[in-house]
Amino acid sequence: MENAVIFYTLSALIIIFTGLTIKFRNIFYSLLSAMTAFLLVGVLFYLLGSEYNAIIQVAIYGLAVPIILGVAIMFTNTKNEVKEKTSGRMKSVMFLTCGLFILAMVYVVMASLLITPEGFSIAGKTTASHYEVIQAFSRGIFIKYVWAFELVSLILTMVAAGLTLFKHANTEEGR
Amino acid sequence: MEITIYHYLALGLAVFVLGIAGSIMSKHVIKMLISIEFILTGVNINFVTFASFCDNVNFNGYIFTLFYTAIGAVEFALALYIFYLMYRSKKTENIDKYGEL
Repeated sequence: MENAVIFYTLSALIIIFTGLTIKFRNIFYSLLSAMTAFLLVGVLFYLLGSEYNAIIQVAIYGLAVPIILGVAIMFTNTKNEVKEKTSGRMKSVMFLTCGLFILAMVYVVMASLLITPEGFSIAGKTTASHYEVIQAFSRGIFIKYVWAFELVSLILTMVAAGLTLFKHANTEEGR
Repeated sequence: MEITIYHYLALGLAVFVLGIAGSIMSKHVIKMLISIEFILTGVNINFVTFASFCDNVNFNGYIFTLFYTAIGAVEFALALYIFYLMYRSKKTENIDKYGEL
């Protein structure tokens, strides 16, 4: 029962703050709502038993990304709030996209229920200990998906180096 | 009332759909970027949920979430840099003015 109360409260807060992010006209308020939503998703990951992902979620999406965005907003804010009047055509495209997506998800769930009548209800929440989760993590990163891990590290390094070079090239051009 | 996998999947779907709606409706570049991050977060919720409920041995979903977060950060950094370059010439955050991109 306690779990249900926590889950519903957390879900409601995540959806409300996500909606507020889109709703706010002021970009700074929007950023603060997004930051709160990302932090709450981190709490959700913790409740699901994935502490490692929770820490990464809080560190990257909850703190690093909002700080970078905050700096970007401070450097670029032109004081003119962008008018966000959505055209009728755009609204219909949005409703169509969202409606089609929800229908597709309903179809996937119904199809899964046809394949196994119990659906995913037979699945129970993880009972693994923290040690087992960390062990599975290290096994996955350093053995099973080691090449994917190295590739992601390489991409991160390339992007960091590439952005620095671009910045340097632009500074040279400016002179 | 017991919380099943469907509850978590519904939450992931809600965040995903809100992200799509935000990225379509927003006229502000930064708000659009945040909405794209919400789409990634919705996917991450699904990964972690499936790993927690259906994969009690390998937890592959946790590892995919880690990779997805890293790739999301890369995409975010690149998008922000492109925005910075465009902003220098356009002097506006309105996405409608970025047609030349």
